Amino acid sequence: MSKYPNHIPPIKGFIETSFSDWPGMVCAVIFLPYCNLRCPFCHNHVLVLNPDSLENISLQSILDRLKPFKDWIDGVCITGGEPTIHRGLPGLIRKIRSAGLMVKLDTNGTQPEILNYLISEGLLDFVAMDVKAPLNDSKYTRASGVYVPVEIIRESIETLMSGRVQYMFRTTVVPSLHSRDDILEIARMLKGALGLTLQNFNPKDPLDPQMRKEKPYSDEALCLLQKEVDRVMKSKN
Amino acid sequence: MGSVLKLKKDSSSETTDMALFVHRSDEALDSWNRERIVEALIRETCIDHDTARAISKEVEEIIMASGISTITAPLIRELVDAKLIERGLERARKMHTRLGVPLFDVDQMITHPNKENANVPHGPEATNLTLAESIKKEYALLNVFSREVGEAHMHGTIHLHDLGFIDRPYCSGQSLEYLKKFGLNLPNSLAMAKPAKHPEVLLAHMVKFGAALQSNFAGAIGWDAVNLFFAPYLVGMTDREMKQLAQMLIFEFSQQAVARGGQAIFTDINLYWEVPKHFADVPAIGPGGEYTGKTYAEYEKEAQRFVWQLFEVFKEGDGAGRPFFFPKPLVHITDKFFQTPGHLSFLNHICDVAAEKGNTYFVFDRGDTAKISECCRLSFKLERSDLEDAKEPWRMRYSAIQNVTLNLPRLSFMAKRDDTRLFDKIADIMELAVRAHLEKRSFIERLLSHEESGPLTLLNMDTDGTPYLRLNRSTYLIGMVGLNELTQYHTGEEMHESTEATRFGLKVIAHMKLLADHFSRRFGMRFVLEQTPAESTAHRFARLDLTYYPDEASQVVKGNPAQGEVYYTNSTLYNVSAPMNPIHRVKYEGRFHPLIEAGALTHIWLGEARPSAPSLANFVIKTFNRTKNDQIAFSPEFTCCNDCGKLDRGIHDRCTYCKSRNVDGITRITGYFTRISSWNKGKLGELKDRYRNHEYL
Amino acid sequence: MTLFTKRLCSACQEIKNSFDLEALGIKVEELGPDNPDALAHLAWHELVEDAQKNLPILVLNDSSAITDMLEIKNLLMRLSRKKK
Ligand code: SF4
Ligand SMILES: [Zn+2]
Repeated sequence: MSKYPNHIPPIKGFIETSFSDWPGMVCAVIFLPYCNLRCPFCHNHVLVLNPDSLENISLQSILDRLKPFKDWIDGVCITGGEPTIHRGLPGLIRKIRSAGLMVKLDTNGTQPEILNYLISEGLLDFVAMDVKAPLNDSKYTRASGVYVPVEIIRESIETLMSGRVQYMFRTTVVPSLHSRDDILEIARMLKGALGLTLQNFNPKDPLDPQMRKEKPYSDEALCLLQKEVDRVMKSKN
Repeated sequence: MGSVLKLKKDSSSETTDMALFVHRSDEALDSWNRERIVEALIRETCIDHDTARAISKEVEEIIMASGISTITAPLIRELVDAKLIERGLERARKMHTRLGVPLFDVDQMITHPNKENANVPHGPEATNLTLAESIKKEYALLNVFSREVGEAHMHGTIHLHDLGFIDRPYCSGQSLEYLKKFGLNLPNSLAMAKPAKHPEVLLAHMVKFGAALQSNFAGAIGWDAVNLFFAPYLVGMTDREMKQLAQMLIFEFSQQAVARGGQAIFTDINLYWEVPKHFADVPAIGPGGEYTGKTYAEYEKEAQRFVWQLFEVFKEGDGAGRPFFFPKPLVHITDKFFQTPGHLSFLNHICDVAAEKGNTYFVFDRGDTAKISECCRLSFKLERSDLEDAKEPWRMRYSAIQNVTLNLPRLSFMAKRDDTRLFDKIADIMELAVRAHLEKRSFIERLLSHEESGPLTLLNMDTDGTPYLRLNRSTYLIGMVGLNELTQYHTGEEMHESTEATRFGLKVIAHMKLLADHFSRRFGMRFVLEQTPAESTAHRFARLDLTYYPDEASQVVKGNPAQGEVYYTNSTLYNVSAPMNPIHRVKYEGRFHPLIEAGALTHIWLGEARPSAPSLANFVIKTFNRTKNDQIAFSPEFTCCNDCGKLDRGIHDRCTYCKSRNVDGITRITGYFTRISSWNKGKLGELKDRYRNHEYL
Repeated sequence: MTLFTKRLCSACQEIKNSFDLEALGIKVEELGPDNPDALAHLAWHELVEDAQKNLPILVLNDSSAITDMLEIKNLLMRLSRKKK
């Protein structure tokens, strides 16, 4: 147990009501600081690079704030940054759960051990994991901005696919990082999983300023690609 | 339009005989004749012959002495009016008034778009409408309403809506049953069409009748239970055929900008997943206007498949993927909805449209009390006589005759933070609104009394034994603007700032509601409170108050006064920029809805956020079960690129895809989607202030 | 607690006659054409539609409402007994 100390990680952001962070649920969202990756397209980079510029929000004030909405808000989505790099995450989740709220975790899948622990302890109701690129070191590293040994990603994927928790995989699609084939390769690799949701890259304020010039795929193009992905994931062989 | 009088002075002569030519509107020339002034005065006013003659002489002298060579007929009329004033003949002057539009204004109208109603595009047909409206507006203020009512409108204490359409009732709600039973038989039309045999023909009748109604009503045209009443025509159709029909229906109504004054027909289509209780056992009318021998309950499947396809079309949007502006789909959710198989997937489907395009309106009809949706979402509980009507749904025709909106913040300025005075002022202004309604009613009654030879023949046609317009069942709407600012000025807090402020707001509306009931009993008419579709009214009131009550108004107006983008908060809504959780918004705004019988609605602004459809469905169900909210809509915003044609969520100043700056914003304006470039200044201010649901971080 | 009532209603009258509402700390709101305060209070508790169907309604301190006549009586009875 001492592996996961009781002190609660700092909370840097809070959305009371979201319709977009947990499919089918009305949820609150809390943001934890810091991340071990540097994805060039990251749009939460303040949390990654400069979290001290954001004030801490106390967990108690958040729980108090949510109390009057208890008939309305089904759960809390924990995102970041990367929540799983905080050893205090299990403690945080336990506090939230004891307030009668479900918990969804957003993760980049680089910490399979704590992920596995959270799932085994029954602390998560839903996990959304980002798959940044096809599973080879160079492509993954390019999309993550730092070196990522893909074995740990594979381990997280397997942990989720073991069927102990509801989950979804997501990929943020950036034209200069992902060809159509890359996306379909991810889909093939995830075959048998519940699904892979493509998200469009937003050039408004990415971590890497270079990316601002990048033109995203059009909605229609992405929609077609999503259809192809769905077909691959569902195909038998 | 104006006749021009050419005045040539014979320089060789010292006498007063002038060579004067009148350019009449029929483009003929008339020579000057002083007697015409006399004739006009006798014909139009009630002054005696001697006075008339004396005035005509005096006017002639002025014209002559002026030495001008060209003069317009309106000017002569004004000169005559000046003489009437000198003599204290105020009544005669009013009767002799000339209605018209200054040259400058006409030029503005022809060359610049109309900002008052975003639904009006700019074009020759639109300026015709604006010009006609401006004259009818003046006519209404001078000749239909009493001076007190007219002045209250001019000063912005109240707002009389659609004065330019003074000779029509406000809005109309009906069902397809009328057309299915009687066919399309319009007065003044040469051909009469028998009841439709095919769905496409029924649709054609619906569109034409909609257009005919638009020329007889000022505002919205609503259709009840459209998918259900189409259903008997749809038996045996494939999904593909149904989708085609759905496409035709939506495109027909969205492209009706070729109709009156270039204005789209403001069309509401009311839809159901379940067969609502009050129609379940009603004998269905099918092709050829014949009873099919079944009840509507037996057409549930067809009605469901059709409404599904309608939303498929809404989801795709128009040819460029943009949301349809019209028709507005209002989905009614009754208790029975939740017992009807397939309701969850249907809810997800329409929430998908809400998330993608925003079109869906969710209308909550709770409890066993059957409700009928009228034109302006004036739902009212079916009383015994209405339940009789529901058995013969073609009888269900409802209309609101007029809409009067009250400037609530001004009342608080006048009351100087004194409770008693404030509630007295509210009573006074309610009485004034009622008076305006009485005056409009007697004017409409006068027009209707000419029957066949009068202007409102369509409303008089009595195919089923009663005139189309059932005046005795009509309603009279009383709207309000700026409850939030009234509360803010009077109590020092905006409604979202404290429970006390909200409760005070409720007290104001409760007071108004009881007064409306009181006047209803007293006059035997139905006065109901309404949330005004306050497009320009909220802006107009704020602007006028900054003029008449600068010290008070500047404390509470919203927007940006420096740029003229000022507004009051619509009706009983909370400040659009208040950081208010959507849950609070539906709950708090919903508390007002049971007191407001017409058109109560809560908007949830989504901005750029692309929500999950099942999450919205989750929220909709909770809103049904846990609030008294009458109606909600989710409003995304879009930027549409005029260069590459792509659509992106959120309002941006450049295109996300091709980076072009040639873009248009699309968002919901009070009731319907429109392009932001056609907004008036108050609305622009509101857009900047709008608090979107994703800005929590 | 608040008891919403209306004039000339026998059920409301019965409750008012059988209990010392004031002593129980219950505020009585009588709905009527010239009482906007009562109507506003009713709207605050989201009970306007319920009140159209059925009165009296007792609103408890936690804002929950009892519309069933028997339940109201039982509760008031219990409260009165506790008082003594
Ligand atoms: S997008 Fe990449 S850098 Fe940003 S928080 Fe997620 S994993 Fe970290
Ligand atoms: Zn573009």
